[in-house]
Amino acid sequence: MVLVSHLLALGLYGVATALALTPFAGLRPAPRALTLGAPLAGAAVHVVGVAQLTPVGVAPALSILALFLVLLQVVSERVFRASAVALFTGPLATGLVSLALLIGLGPDARPVVGGGRWSLLHITVSILGLALLALAFIAAALYLLQFRELKSKRFGQVFRLFPPLERLDRLNHLSLVMGFPTVTLGVLLGFGLRYAGGVPVDAAQIVWGMLTWLVLGWAVGVRVVRHWAGRRAAFASIAGFVAVVLVYLALKLAAPGTERFL
Amino acid sequence: MSIAVVGVNHRTAPLEVRERFAHAPREVPAALERVLSAGAGGGVLLSTCNRTEFYLAEPGDATPATVWAILTERLGEGRSASEYGYLVRDRDAVRHLYRVSAGLDSMILGESQIQGQVREAWETSRSLAGPVLHRLFQSALLVGARVRSETALAAGAASAPSAAVALAGKIFGRLAGRVALVLGAGDMAELAASCLVSEGVRVTLVANRTYERAQAVAEELGARALTEGVRVTLVANRTYERAQAVAEELGARALTLDEAWEHFASADIVLTSTAAPHAVVTWERVAPAIARRGGRPLCILDLAVPRDVEPAVGQLENVFLYDIDDLQAVAAHATADRHHEVPAAERIVSDEVDRFWAWYAGLAAVPVLKEFRERLDDLRAAELERALKRLAHLSPEDRAQRRHACR
Repeated sequence: MVLVSHLLALGLYGVATALALTPFAGLRPAPRALTLGAPLAGAAVHVVGVAQLTPVGVAPALSILALFLVLLQVVSERVFRASAVALFTGPLATGLVSLALLIGLGPDARPVVGGGRWSLLHITVSILGLALLALAFIAAALYLLQFRELKSKRFGQVFRLFPPLERLDRLNHLSLVMGFPTVTLGVLLGFGLRYAGGVPVDAAQIVWGMLTWLVLGWAVGVRVVRHWAGRRAAFASIAGFVAVVLVYLALKLAAPGTERFL
Repeated sequence: MSIAVVGVNHRTAPLEVRERFAHAPREVPAALERVLSAGAGGGVLLSTCNRTEFYLAEPGDATPATVWAILTERLGEGRSASEYGYLVRDRDAVRHLYRVSAGLDSMILGESQIQGQVREAWETSRSLAGPVLHRLFQSALLVGARVRSETALAAGAASAPSAAVALAGKIFGRLAGRVALVLGAGDMAELAASCLVSEGVRVTLVANRTYERAQAVAEELGARALTEGVRVTLVANRTYERAQAVAEELGARALTLDEAWEHFASADIVLTSTAAPHAVVTWERVAPAIARRGGRPLCILDLAVPRDVEPAVGQLENVFLYDIDDLQAVAAHATADRHHEVPAAERIVSDEVDRFWAWYAGLAAVPVLKEFRERLDDLRAAELERALKRLAHLSPEDRAQRRHACR
């Protein structure tokens, strides 16, 4: 069931990606019902698969991250009419689910190490925070692309299909502002599990968790306190997200293996 | 029975010819009466900057020649108006009007202004239109509305003013509440500013070299703005005192043009359209104000030829500078998209031409049916009288009842 639902979700995410890319292939944009319906249907079957996973290891984490990204894409489209977000979230979700399937997904009889529900909450909240940081990165990337098109006076598909700069800036801002308390909660739950629950936590997990929290804190700080906006804020978001991903990859290279997320 | 269109449009006549054929509304009745006196059941004159067309119901053989004569008188110089025009009849004439109303025959494909112009032409000519053209123009307006609602022929920004709104919209998203500064008061600036105001933009400054024009534009914008809570401030550089007086009347504040540069720090959109022979918005004048914006984007729409804004201003951080060529490029993209909608629009036009023509062909049977009914009435009356002669014993009341029953 886990495999079937993930394969179905993969197919539907693939369809959603193709629909998002059709205008760039010179074809008529797909109806909004379809561009929203395909990822939503994918997310629905994905939820069924994720519900049966034990969230331990790289593969389940990637699967949950993909699910959150797709859900955030749907919310972005509904609230901000930012359908262009699908240009990033579509391939990202497809790639993450593919990678999770390649690594190996399946219902795991092993219990989550220590903490039970609290551990599950820590993992879920932390991945949601990461997905919000990714959404801020996507909004920033779309902002810079649209900015470049507007500044260089190119009025092609990017100009037509990407949302206005102001809207992308607000999406970036909101993602960071929502992401920071989410990651903070994830980090606090992590510390709680370690010190109150006695769950063993590796140094790599602490380093990466704190780095993500600091990066998000800095990105929110420059936006809210120093009133950065527009291009400067977009560069900050991208730099922060890239730093988080690179540090994760570096830590993972230092301690390879897919049984543990870090 | 016949319908005809006689006239010229942007495809058949250059601007210098078309502008001579243009009829003001007050000239329309006289021109139509002259055409109708040459023989026609009704007429409507559609005169815009892109076309002058006489729509005629049941025109006589000499009627088109009268139209050409009227237009040739305006042309002068020994040329004939018929060299530039066309005569279209019957179904093709109906199709022509439907295509015009739908924007399929417009210079900017799908533009919606023509719909209002068709309506105005019909209303101006209403007393002389006759029942056939009355029905034709009513249906033409419905066809235009149907094409615009059922296809994307009117989608996108296909004119320079609407492209200006589209560009500003791509930077700011919703334009409601944005602050616009208008430098100069050319027709294009007025049109573009009107488009912005209709989107909820707040026009705070109108600057112009001559006060009267600034006043006219500001009043125009102010009149529309008042309904949307927009505040208008006038700026006139040469006649400051007069500007101040009018600004006070409008509850606004008057400024000199030099003071306008400071407002580059607060405005979101700057529309420039002065008649200056050189760039008036220079890097030195506006860079200090723009530096105080704190990274907020500024959209400058330079509609003037020669350009009002120095290209170096566009290099400033978060400044988006567009000139008239850029607006036309945006419009050209939208027009290209609209071309995909032409087949669907043409199908609607064809359906409606068939519908109208079925109604119009039905009119041909009306005189025959009328004559048939009259003959039946005569026959009935003769037979009744014959029968009553045979029934001489009936009382006058009974005879009256029989007559009544036979009606």
